[in-house]
Amino acid sequence: MKYFFLSPLLLTPLLLSAQVPDAPRAPVAAPAPVSTAPAASGGEGASPTSKPASFADSLPVFNPSTEMLTWNGQNWNINDNRLFQARFEKYLNAPESTDEEDAAYRQLLQQIIDKLAPAKVTSQAVDEAFRLLPQASRYDIDARLCEGIGDAVYSAWRAMDNNQRLVEANKSLEQERKRAEWNARVVTSTSTLSVPPKSGAAAREWARQQRQKRDADLLPYKSRLAEALAAIKLNQAKKELSELQTKIEFQTLIVQLFLQRRFQHVIIASRFYRSVFSDGDTTLNVGSDTKDLFAKTIGNPPTVSTLDTLANEALRDAREGVQAYRFLLERNELQSATKRLAEAFTIGEYLPELRTLPREIKRKALSFTQKSYQLVSALEVKDYTLARKLVEELEVIARDFDNSKPMAAIETARTVSAMHLAKARNAAVSGDRETLESELKAATEIWPRNPALADVSGKIFDSADVQQKALADLDQLLAQNNHRQIFEDKVRFIAATALYPDRQEQLKKVLDNMQIIEGAIIRASEIARHGDYAGAWEQVEIVFSQFPQDNKLNQVRADLTTQAAEFVRTLRTAQDLEAKGETGSSLAWYLKAQKLYPASSFGRAGIERLVEELLPDAQASTAVH
Amino acid sequence: MARRAHSSTHPAWFAAALVVVLLFAGGGYLIYSQLSDPFRTFSPLPVEAYLQNANSLRGNRYRVDVTVANQLGWTPQKGRLYSMDLDGSDDVLPLLIPAELNSINLQKGQRFTIEVEVIDRGILEVKRLRKA
Repeated sequence: MKYFFLSPLLLTPLLLSAQVPDAPRAPVAAPAPVSTAPAASGGEGASPTSKPASFADSLPVFNPSTEMLTWNGQNWNINDNRLFQARFEKYLNAPESTDEEDAAYRQLLQQIIDKLAPAKVTSQAVDEAFRLLPQASRYDIDARLCEGIGDAVYSAWRAMDNNQRLVEANKSLEQERKRAEWNARVVTSTSTLSVPPKSGAAAREWARQQRQKRDADLLPYKSRLAEALAAIKLNQAKKELSELQTKIEFQTLIVQLFLQRRFQHVIIASRFYRSVFSDGDTTLNVGSDTKDLFAKTIGNPPTVSTLDTLANEALRDAREGVQAYRFLLERNELQSATKRLAEAFTIGEYLPELRTLPREIKRKALSFTQKSYQLVSALEVKDYTLARKLVEELEVIARDFDNSKPMAAIETARTVSAMHLAKARNAAVSGDRETLESELKAATEIWPRNPALADVSGKIFDSADVQQKALADLDQLLAQNNHRQIFEDKVRFIAATALYPDRQEQLKKVLDNMQIIEGAIIRASEIARHGDYAGAWEQVEIVFSQFPQDNKLNQVRADLTTQAAEFVRTLRTAQDLEAKGETGSSLAWYLKAQKLYPASSFGRAGIERLVEELLPDAQASTAVH
Repeated sequence: MARRAHSSTHPAWFAAALVVVLLFAGGGYLIYSQLSDPFRTFSPLPVEAYLQNANSLRGNRYRVDVTVANQLGWTPQKGRLYSMDLDGSDDVLPLLIPAELNSINLQKGQRFTIEVEVIDRGILEVKRLRKA
């Protein structure tokens, strides 16, 4: 029975039929336009599905606990769908219907309802109400629904007239039947007036002839009697069928108006129905599913009175909704106020209480509504920054705004996203690319527009860019053997290769070599500072043989070569001659070089090398001093 | 008989004779010394040529005047290898004193006139030597 109190809400398909479902499904056909004439069969205007004869698949069910409306196998939140939002905002922005035309229309409908009121309905009042229907249908707001009711009433009256003629025909047939029966009885009785013969055989023959004669005389009357009876039965069947068909059409119209939430028209149509069909049978002859819906709502088989009652209940509910809205608005409880107005709008979009509500009063709910819808959208797209801002704004404008659900969603997303980002940071530091990517992806899925996400990922990727550029530079410099540049930019390369052990090893080797070169240069400079240019040159030359491509070393070597020119020339001559196999000459040059620079390691090495060559088994090579 | 007048030798003649004697003595000594020098038949080592291409002088014998500098090495079989400063030059020559001359003591600073032969690899092998 939870649907009872909101029973009018059960039947709001036209408003909701084009709403966007929560989950993507097959597109729902748009509802048929409002019919101005009674449908030939139940539900043409009420059901947008492919089963116009039944409401089985098109009747919506609203669960007030979740504010979800289930219809045609799909679910909508009445407070969260684009069409409802659009229509509700349109309503909130629309001016109130207080012009003369609207007032006249409302007055006309009320007159019709009053004239058809059960307490004072007469044939004359029904006729007067019927005459007012075309007038009401001339107003745009009526959407020619009154004309449709009028058509239905007229069709019913015509059907009733036909039924009356069938009744008259049956009366004639009944008289014919009676006449045939009387004639048959007369024929039967007159045959007994003649005298039968006395002899047995003649008497039997006479009796047989008398029977044949009586049967022959009776046959036309029997045939006419049977024909009359058949015609009577046929007319009775026609009458009953015609009345049932007319009732079904009329009931279908009432149901359709109810589904369109045209509750005033429902009341008018139901009262006309009762005046047309005065047999007291108001049971709805609709599909079993539709019957079940109403039966579940009210607990009894549905009747026209059921719809009448529900329509009145809807009118009252809409009135109370508007009153509640005004009251809550005064208390600055915009959330509740807006919900009440939305509910009243859902029920009675076309009712006077809602259409006459001043725009300025409605617009107070507009800001809250817009922000609420923005909040829903922000939560849908996981824009928790905007959602938080909207929650704060809503708390300001609506004292009763319940922030628990959105804030729970926002804070949960923020926390989980922050956790993933922290993991991503750690993964970035430790060089775990797989974890980095998965954590960033998880953080993005939870909160795509998280500012921290952009910040963190930006930093990670910036550093990654710097790192990648440094690594590319390192590779290029290694390929060029430009170890000097690597050495001068070693801090950057040390940082960049922190996550790459192979490159780290390469860099270490380069830096070690550069340390050797730099050490040699420093030592050479120090020795040269004391005027020992040959010694300085030898310091550089030793390292130069290992690292001939170092520019700085080359430059220092060139400078020292100039300053120790004779020694260098002597030594190089010795080396050249040694290479040519001129052992004696070479040794003489080495000896001369050693004379020029007694501490020469190159000279000593050359001499030792050549002495070893000349005296392989030399037992001593010590100098004689 | 007439006594001839007594005549005395003029002192200039004595001086001239002394000069002549000295000249003969000097010349003799010079000739003697020239003739007595055992290396007089050897030309001095062409140092420039040796330093540029010692192998081109292989088989030739030369005379060098040197001062002992350092012993570079020795083997009982091949002898001793010395570095010797060439007199009158900054050049230093490597000289191999073969084992046959092991009896000769060499000390740093001693000056020698040496007959050398350019052997394999352009090494100067000492053939004879004498103190200068």
